[in-house]
Amino acid sequence: MTASPLAQIVTVASYEIRKYIRGRRLLGILILVGLIIGLFLGLPPALGTPYASNPNAFVSTFATFTGLLVVLNGVLFAADALVSEHEKRTGYFLFPNPVRREVLVLGKIAASLIVSAAVISLYYGAAAIAALIVTKSLTWDVGLSYVYALSYMTAVVGIAYLVSATFKSTVAATVLTFFLFTLIFSIVGALLPRAKIDPWFIPTSASGIISDVLGSTAARPGPGGEVSVGFIPDPATSILVFAAYAIVGGVLAILWFRRRELSS
Amino acid sequence: MQSSHTESVTREFPVHLEGLGKEYGHFTALKSLDLTVPEGTSLGFLGPNGAGKSTTIKIMTNLIRPSRGRAILFGIEVRQEPTRALARIGAVIETPEFYGYLSPLETLAYVGRLRSMSTSQIEHRSEAVLKGVKLTDWADHRIQEFSKGMKQRLAIAQALLHEPELLILDEPTSGLDPRGMAEVRDVIKSLKGEGRTIFMSSHLLGEVQEVCDDVALLNHGELLIHGSVRDLSRGADTSTFQTTFLRSPTPQELEALASVPGIVEVKAEGDSTVDLRISGGEEGQARVLEAMVSRGLKVITYRPLGSSLEQLYLDRIQESDRL
Repeated sequence: MTASPLAQIVTVASYEIRKYIRGRRLLGILILVGLIIGLFLGLPPALGTPYASNPNAFVSTFATFTGLLVVLNGVLFAADALVSEHEKRTGYFLFPNPVRREVLVLGKIAASLIVSAAVISLYYGAAAIAALIVTKSLTWDVGLSYVYALSYMTAVVGIAYLVSATFKSTVAATVLTFFLFTLIFSIVGALLPRAKIDPWFIPTSASGIISDVLGSTAARPGPGGEVSVGFIPDPATSILVFAAYAIVGGVLAILWFRRRELSS
Repeated sequence: MQSSHTESVTREFPVHLEGLGKEYGHFTALKSLDLTVPEGTSLGFLGPNGAGKSTTIKIMTNLIRPSRGRAILFGIEVRQEPTRALARIGAVIETPEFYGYLSPLETLAYVGRLRSMSTSQIEHRSEAVLKGVKLTDWADHRIQEFSKGMKQRLAIAQALLHEPELLILDEPTSGLDPRGMAEVRDVIKSLKGEGRTIFMSSHLLGEVQEVCDDVALLNHGELLIHGSVRDLSRGADTSTFQTTFLRSPTPQELEALASVPGIVEVKAEGDSTVDLRISGGEEGQARVLEAMVSRGLKVITYRPLGSSLEQLYLDRIQESDRL
């Protein structure tokens, strides 16, 4: 008696989503999103500076934080999804059931994408509503920025799953995923142009389109202020880069997780 | 073609292990295990810690890959078709952890849905299995509040949810208090009464004797004994009897005891207590008692220390350790 793989994926995804809803992580990131939105909306009037007058400029303020928000989603909702089954020994209860490992990974990936997309949608939704109220208009560019953010999210989740499938400790997998996207890729992306190589294949460089589409200079938070991300690939290349990281990361995660043995 | 042949050959054996071996680097956890378990029987898989019991069970449940050989359940090779092979089994491996954010009812619903059980089936069976392991009062509580013993009982409940034909239990009473152990044994015995096939590892010989028809003894990854509990108990060469005398036997009397036919070993354990290792089964035990009395030794108590199977177990393990 075994459910179809698709039904099993839906089951796994629904229970993973339940985990995120009941856990403190979702609540934590929602509080963080609320604080960021509050700061972006509350600080200008508090400092006596006017809001941007056009929707693209208004939303681009929000977009400067999108990259980090996407990475935080990957860290909180993907980086330990597979490794924890081994480390916390829940695999001893789950794996002897008639369910393929790839089904488990796909269900978990689906849950990570759904929850991360919900958080990013909430953030962009709030930004768009605020832009509509403040500037009385909205552009398609805001929607494009949102789509690029979701695409970047798939790349982060794909890589986070690969890290999660290969590491033995949830802490190591979580820390590596975070620093990979906030530090390592950024450093590589900043150094490659010095060797006359365009970092089009670096996901953090490609993530520059999230802000770039809104007409602002793509930047990431850095010591002493924002740092320009420098080279930004064109949108089509960026989307392809995100897709490649998502697919390769996800497929390698499945292959690794299938081969990995559960032994204490 | 080979698969259908295997299925027809091994259909009457829910468990068929063929040359099963496992290496971790240079360490051999399992050498070459050949073992079958006929339908409706219960096998106690015995051995000290590190003997290879859990390795075997992990291979059978697709948690690890064998280095060689095959594990076949209901004629289906686990490595080749894990979902089909695992569909008819229920397993408890070590003391599993559960998702702390779920309740037992939700956990069972998760397993039931993965196994394509209907909502009404899940509800009906969840109620029954939780009652069986005495977790009904905790059915809606989050598992993060549970003790190790409660988790072990939940593990048994989830293994029974879909009424499996074969139960694979890896030390099922581990972590339970004496009352919990007795309750779990009763559950296993009732399942045995229903005609289910049981493959149970344990390092507790008494538990295996109480619950199982057959026993397989493993040490250093090698099968030492395989047979029915009854036959092995009868066939055991020696057993140890703790004998207490009215007064402490003198060294001369102890020497004389050692020469009594049937006494293999004499070990003074206290002032007036001596452990006698006796050969010859029940006849031998009676002869030794008669001989002691006829030699004027005043015997107060004469009782077996453990079972003859236990002695056989210890002898074979010691023998295997010496090699």
